Amino acid sequence: TSAQPATPKPLYLCSPFVEAALVKGNFKTIVMQPKYTDIMEWVAVNIFEFYQNLNQFYGVLAECCTQQSCPAMSAGPQYVPSRIPRGYFLTQNPRLNYTWINQDRKSVQLPAPTYIDYVMTWVQNLLDDENAFPTKSGRDFPSNFPSTVKHVYRQLLRVFAHLYHAHYPQILHLRSEPHFNSLFAHFLAFGKEYELLDVKDIKGQSGAVVGVGALWERWKEMGILEQ
Amino acid sequence: QSSSAKSPDYVYFDRTTAGFSDDAVPRAKTAQLKLEHFYKLAVDAAIERNTRRVELERKLAGDPGMSEDRKQRQLQQLGKRESAFLRLRRTKLGLDDFRTVKVIGKGAFGEVRVVQKTDTGKIYAMKTLKKEEMLKKDQLAHVRAERDVLAESNSPWVVQLYYSFQDPAYLYLIMEFLPGGDLMTMLIKYDTFSEDVTRFYIAECVLAIEAVHKLGFIHRDIKPDNILIDKDGHIKLSDFGLSTGFHKQHDSAYYARLLDSANGAQSPTSAARNSVAVNAIHLTMSSKDQIATWKANRRKLAYSTVGTPDYIAPEIFLQKGYGNECDWWSLGAIMFECLVGYPPFCSESTHDTYTKIIHFQQYLMFPDDVHLSREAEDLIRRLITSQDRRLVVDQIKHHPFFYGVNWNAIRQIDAPFIPRLKSITDTSYFPTDELEQVPEEPVGGDSAGANKDLAFLGYTFKRFQISSNAF
Ligand SMILES: Nc1ncnc2c1ncn2[C@@H]1O[C@H](COP(=O)(O)OP(=O)(O)OP(=O)(O)O)[C@@H](O)[C@H]1O
Repeated sequence: TSAQPATPKPLYLCSPFVEAALVKGNFKTIVMQPKYTDIMEWVAVNIFEFYQNLNQFYGVLAECCTQQSCPAMSAGPQYVPSRIPRGYFLTQNPRLNYTWINQDRKSVQLPAPTYIDYVMTWVQNLLDDENAFPTKSGRDFPSNFPSTVKHVYRQLLRVFAHLYHAHYPQILHLRSEPHFNSLFAHFLAFGKEYELLDVKDIKGQSGAVVGVGALWERWKEMGILEQ
Repeated sequence: QSSSAKSPDYVYFDRTTAGFSDDAVPRAKTAQLKLEHFYKLAVDAAIERNTRRVELERKLAGDPGMSEDRKQRQLQQLGKRESAFLRLRRTKLGLDDFRTVKVIGKGAFGEVRVVQKTDTGKIYAMKTLKKEEMLKKDQLAHVRAERDVLAESNSPWVVQLYYSFQDPAYLYLIMEFLPGGDLMTMLIKYDTFSEDVTRFYIAECVLAIEAVHKLGFIHRDIKPDNILIDKDGHIKLSDFGLSTGFHKQHDSAYYARLLDSANGAQSPTSAARNSVAVNAIHLTMSSKDQIATWKANRRKLAYSTVGTPDYIAPEIFLQKGYGNECDWWSLGAIMFECLVGYPPFCSESTHDTYTKIIHFQQYLMFPDDVHLSREAEDLIRRLITSQDRRLVVDQIKHHPFFYGVNWNAIRQIDAPFIPRLKSITDTSYFPTDELEQVPEEPVGGDSAGANKDLAFLGYTFKRFQISSNAF
């Protein structure tokens, strides 16, 4: 249609995969805070379960996510929307790479498997930490719980973003796309509801739509997620 | 390029599992199934939670006498319970979350203890099951499947299971503690019951078995040790996904072998143990001796992995196929024992018992020295009979023996024996002094200590009781 160098659209934005879903209907039913319950408990259990479920899928895909295949924790090339509906073109700054803050508070580039391993270990330790995520009767949540949760959410979002960007074909080979899509859509709906989702994280430079950010927009268009 | 595609960005993708490791596909499948299960539970939980809330709101709205303040407090209370329930979903439990109060029972694969959850102080019964033993007997699959479904029952007739966890060596089941002991212990103590007392227990058993059948289960191994007594003296059936009914020994093949051996082709073990005497005892039927031996061994039998076959219907070991009517046979045998003092086919050896059960027409005998009403004997004969003649639940309920029983309210009436309990941890209804070899604290499979687990996810955290003090 055009002479411009169009990159192929990511598979997760293409039909029929973009509409593949295990869970149909409005996520509100399972996202809304149940009346009279403690919001901390509600958020805590959901974060806990997102982690468990994502970890389960990462466990399957880990063999495909290696130092060689993924030397950087990338969430994809950045696209700017063109005039052509649903067509996206590569821009100058091609990758959205996440950096990890190391012990010296330095921002470092890590291979994706290392990065994800850090994230998953860190989250697991937090979830097992009675001070951060109390489970014993009578124990209260710490005052910094909301900010902890925000951090956890952000890192899990990056893992999702990387899997979509780098491993979606493998998800398709394993016929897991309805499951993975629903888990992610649920995750986004939850993040939106509790203000954990930072749009910056899934968009590249201002105005550009990056990787799963485009998916998010697309799902909103399609009514899978709320506007 | 394809113009027939549904949408302009429709793509075809050739799926292949070629590049993956051998276990990637099964692992992916597992992840998918788990996620499906997860969402099914999430939706169910949302619906149930909603129902609880709406019910309470409706109840409060319909109570003009209650102050607004109190109504608000009740709603807040519900919120607290719901929140605690949410917390439970994140809670990994291990052995060190419980403290043993007392060992109260021994089963085929482990022991039963009264325990206290250390943070809440709540009391439960904890059953330990040695995985290795269960694997030997092919039990684990059964445990899983049966329990998953049973856990969904809210029946007052089934012992409630709250959660389970495991370490490398053991499975632990945390269930409600029924302080009244079991029917076996009661029968050992009282020998026989009057017809009125028998009517009460058997009628409750009828409803309990019916409830189990309605859940789509066949118990197959109903016996007095599995009939537990709650604090008010009413009965509940103990968790039966785990009952000896599913042990390998009760397989039809196992029975076939035993029966063969009874017909002359002696198996080495029975030859070594009983030699020629087997047939002699079998033929003379000097019942008094047999009964005495049987009674003396009753509890030992209950503790053995083989279990007692006394209450099992003949069709179960005749490889003929069976349905839930086999449980009504067991009930007949229990009723016989309640009135007569021993089960109808008790013998000195288990395989004599099998033989007698198979030839029940010859061996079902009512002793002269015990008086039974016509109705009682008639009901027993209509339960201990061939599959096609056996009464079905509605016929049982209408049998003259149950004349006067109010089937809808039996759980609300006063039970004949109401346990007298000094405290919530009173274990005087259990034969605790006979359980000396059992370690006070469970050993645990991992000496390093807490190996906590979210075992049996989906099953584990499903218990929510609106009224209860669970957790
Ligand atoms: N929830 C409970 N509350 C009180 N006592 C219990 C409870 N569960 C079991 N017991 C006691 O422990 C004894 C053994 O338990 P149970 O019969 O469940 O174990 P088991 O013998 O391994 O099972 P099975 O009968 O299936 O072989 C029971 O007869 C009963 O006295």
